[in-house]
Amino acid sequence: MTTEPTLTGHGFSVQLPAAWEGRVYRRSTPVAAFSPQNRASIAAGEPSPAGRGWLGEHINAVLHLANFPLPADRGDYGSGAVEAMTARNTFVALVEFGQECLGTALYSSIGLPRVEPRRFDPNGLQRRIPGQSGCQFFFTEASRPMCLYVVLGSHRDVDLLSAQVNRVLDRIKVDAP
Amino acid sequence: MTVLIVVETAVLLVLSVLVVGLLRSYATVLQRLHRLDGGVDPAPPAPLSSAGAAPPFRTADGVVGPPEGQEWPVGQDIAGVALSGEVVTARTVGVQHDTVLVFLSSGCAGCAGFWEQLAAGGLPPVGTSRVLVVTKGPDEESVAQLSQLSPPGLDLVMSSAAWADHRVPGSPYVIVIDGVTGRIKGEGSGTSLSQVSALIRQAYGDGAWSPGRRGMVKPRSDADREVEVDRALLASGIDPGHPSLYLDIVDTSLPATADSPSAAGR
Repeated sequence: MTTEPTLTGHGFSVQLPAAWEGRVYRRSTPVAAFSPQNRASIAAGEPSPAGRGWLGEHINAVLHLANFPLPADRGDYGSGAVEAMTARNTFVALVEFGQECLGTALYSSIGLPRVEPRRFDPNGLQRRIPGQSGCQFFFTEASRPMCLYVVLGSHRDVDLLSAQVNRVLDRIKVDAP
Repeated sequence: MTVLIVVETAVLLVLSVLVVGLLRSYATVLQRLHRLDGGVDPAPPAPLSSAGAAPPFRTADGVVGPPEGQEWPVGQDIAGVALSGEVVTARTVGVQHDTVLVFLSSGCAGCAGFWEQLAAGGLPPVGTSRVLVVTKGPDEESVAQLSQLSPPGLDLVMSSAAWADHRVPGSPYVIVIDGVTGRIKGEGSGTSLSQVSALIRQAYGDGAWSPGRRGMVKPRSDADREVEVDRALLASGIDPGHPSLYLDIVDTSLPATADSPSAAGR
């Protein structure tokens, strides 16, 4: 008998369906700018006290949901996680953007969208991985400009997997800032 | 007569060598075909420790196993906070992978060996299992000290609830949860990751687990066939857990009627 835990943080709330897990975070504010040297250090796996980002960067919330184990070290758009997906897995990222984006054309669509199979494309991925497909939507929910990025483990099963994604999206609640 | 026997023996030996050679080449071809088909990696598993033998394992004082004849208790999902402040809900129950929970704390002397091995990159991939380091929550732990002890990339969750849920008697402590059944299938303590690997091996059955070894992988053709079957069932409205999957055997001698389960499932 599995329960349905609720993941809550940074203005997001999701009741997770069976086998789905999630993580929500806001990166720490960078205290030093990226430089070729510290980028190389990060790439080499060395700890980076400067944080990852740019000076003056606005730090916003990111929600990750998946029906496979999410690794600790991931990019906002799932790098580090999507490589571990199998054909039956799905990855959902909800990335918040700064208030300066509010009201701009890109984010003019209102409300968390639902995905349609026809929107998924193997070329819609941040980095193409054989068999997978992805899609991306920009919108505003609760006065928070956001991007929804979804990766499916198998483009062949786009109908089945996109229906799963919509069932999860139905459970996401976004609080106003 | 003697010459005949010698000749026959020689011919027999030559034929035997030929047959053995053919069988070996046939086995090699089969192995390569199986590998091409996405089958199990035939590479031998890595040794469990540097010495190649299982290290001795013993439970720490005060660590009590389940009573004789009783089932191991049920595992719980892990909800907590990472050192970065990330809010985490990790599934351990009702999933396809197993989870190895390593309960540690920043101050315990017995955890030093674990932290040292973790810092040295000594946490091996555990087959298809996930490894989570669990400490108590930020209100009961030194976050600054943990940040120093925890190497980058380590999946560490701070959760006092996880300690309470799993009745962890103290640190270090390791629990292995079977993802499919949700049952704990092994737990105990040790002084280092190498030592605890013996516990994990016991939980998985001797020889069934070793660091770096791949879990059982189905041949791709089998997986494809299962996907096709899943797709057909889902297209018919039969989801996992659908009641029709758990019906008693229907008497096939009777014609199916409009309201019979066999007709409704189509």
